[in-house]
Amino acid sequence: MNGIYEMSPPLLEARNLAKHYGVSQGWFKPRALARALDGVSFTLAPGKTLAVVGESGCGKSTLARQITMLERPSDGELWMDGANITDADRAGLKRVRPLVQMVFQNPYASLNPRKKVGAILGEPLAINTQLNKAQRADQGRAMMARVGLRPEFFGRYPHMFSGGQRQRIAIARALMLEPKVIVADEPVSALDVSIQAQVLNLLMDLQQASGVAYLFISHNLSVVEHIADNVLVMYLGKTVEHGSKQEIFSRPRHPYTRALFASTPRIDPLQRQQKIILQGELPSPLAPPPGCAFNTRCPHAVERCRQEAPPLALFDDRLVACHRVAEL
Amino acid sequence: MALLDIRNLCVEFGSTASPFIAVDAVDLTVDQGEVVGIVGESGSGKSVTSLALMGLVDYPGRVTAERMAFDGRDLLRMPDKQRRGLLGKDIAMIFQDPMTSLNPCFTVADQLIETLRVHEGGSRRELRGRALALLKQVEIPDAEHRLDAYPHQLSGGMSQRVMVAMAIACNPRLLIADEPTTALDVTVQAQILDLLLQLQRERGMALMLITHDLSVVAQTVQRVIVMYAGQVVETGSVPDIFNAPQHPYTQALLGALPEHNIGRARLQTIPGVVPGQFDRPRGCLLNPRCAYAVEPCREARPELVAHAHLLKTDSKVRCLFPLNAKGEPTHHPGMRKAEVA
Repeated sequence: MNGIYEMSPPLLEARNLAKHYGVSQGWFKPRALARALDGVSFTLAPGKTLAVVGESGCGKSTLARQITMLERPSDGELWMDGANITDADRAGLKRVRPLVQMVFQNPYASLNPRKKVGAILGEPLAINTQLNKAQRADQGRAMMARVGLRPEFFGRYPHMFSGGQRQRIAIARALMLEPKVIVADEPVSALDVSIQAQVLNLLMDLQQASGVAYLFISHNLSVVEHIADNVLVMYLGKTVEHGSKQEIFSRPRHPYTRALFASTPRIDPLQRQQKIILQGELPSPLAPPPGCAFNTRCPHAVERCRQEAPPLALFDDRLVACHRVAEL
Repeated sequence: MALLDIRNLCVEFGSTASPFIAVDAVDLTVDQGEVVGIVGESGSGKSVTSLALMGLVDYPGRVTAERMAFDGRDLLRMPDKQRRGLLGKDIAMIFQDPMTSLNPCFTVADQLIETLRVHEGGSRRELRGRALALLKQVEIPDAEHRLDAYPHQLSGGMSQRVMVAMAIACNPRLLIADEPTTALDVTVQAQILDLLLQLQRERGMALMLITHDLSVVAQTVQRVIVMYAGQVVETGSVPDIFNAPQHPYTQALLGALPEHNIGRARLQTIPGVVPGQFDRPRGCLLNPRCAYAVEPCREARPELVAHAHLLKTDSKVRCLFPLNAKGEPTHHPGMRKAEVA
């Protein structure tokens, strides 16, 4: 497709995926259109990790909802295992949904407090397979061992676990159906540093063992640097830079990517970059600025940036959407 | 003389027979105009320390201290009315989640003016003018318009700026910022930290930054206090602590950061979790999780002391066998840093 991926056939492919929401502005006023996701393309190969990076409101979670097929995209196509599943019917969705599972940000909110761990882990099987109760329990216990939880905890409730253990339960639940893709939406941002390291190690071990692919949504660049193979930087529903981790982390090209790197606090004084403090915040997706979406905050914006939107083009081994990328 | 001088602060919750010790004999000093960082994982007592200082620990919490002096006056032994006059004026605090710490029923102006009216008074017009000046000072764009906005109309970064404006309204001499940027994006985090430091320099106020993010601390403060399970385990200047930590916990915490594991497939981890009410270990509180723990660590509880013979620093550390400059424990010079799987 664009030369930045190795040539393994993609497991999941998004082509110009878009999601627009109608937003009520009050009685008798026309509904406004929020372009939460506005034409994002990527491919995901088995056993690889694609990290999606961006500020809140840039469309990361909207992207996750399209990929997990919780919502139908307004435009574009979603391909899974070589089949177009954008307009799949009920039966088609029932077939592909188990292949894509999700791990949420906050393990204190994503587990039902009234269900025991066994029931939480058995539920995906009860819905999607013909296994009987005993078989479901066996698989649940086996999965607990895989994620580093003692199988004796099978009958416990979520409140009896610490944050890190809860996130392990959430990961175990996502793995119950042996999915091919796991969408992890900020899976470690609610955890402490020491627990974060344990959970990241677990995610990487599971990937090595089962070849599952991750769509890893995060705003923490040092975590992304550790776990990702490819990186997609989003701004206001659009891709601004997309390429391999090595390229993007060694030479960020888009001014927004650079600003993100410069804003990330670093321990090592040598790694701290000259501060580029971005002014202001993400513009409203209801009224995106004309031209390049980033022009209102970009230190290098010129007249052209305010008039025409830059296309996503190949430059220096990655895709970048910036008019001035060659001169910066 | 230190601006803030806390000796032997203890905060307990629950029954007196088997209390939960949230803060365990913490000593803390902050000088005029100094930027101090308190780091630790959740449950380490860093927030409770600041709440105790602000008098915000409610019944059944019990706060005791040998001394809790602000500018030479003991906060615990002064009449409540006098203490309320200090809090919010000379000592101000910013909380973690800006979206929930502003009152959704009142406008920005109402909330800013309340602080000013309680502590300094003045006519309504005068106060409104001062509120506007404060919003401009924290660099809120279109400040006139924002005065009459309700909190839900503001973004996270903007709400945190309003919180900062409220905190600095009465020219505090000590500003406590409890996780001021945790709920914010990195770009906005950089803006808020920059604003806090700029205000701190301009006004010469002391800033106490409480956070779990080691890299924020490394980049922002002068002196660090590392807490674990309610105790201060290490304190010292930023370069000392980050280049040559003497406490195994500090070392392990730094080692668990992805930033320190570049090129490695796995992250180094600290096994286990912070002890809770019922599993507080005997001896050193870290010993079940410590890679270097030996028999004496399970028996005796170490004191926070300086080991100047090890490193030429003024760091203090709570460990029987503090780490030397190579990061090895001193009880066993040949022992390599244990590789934690």
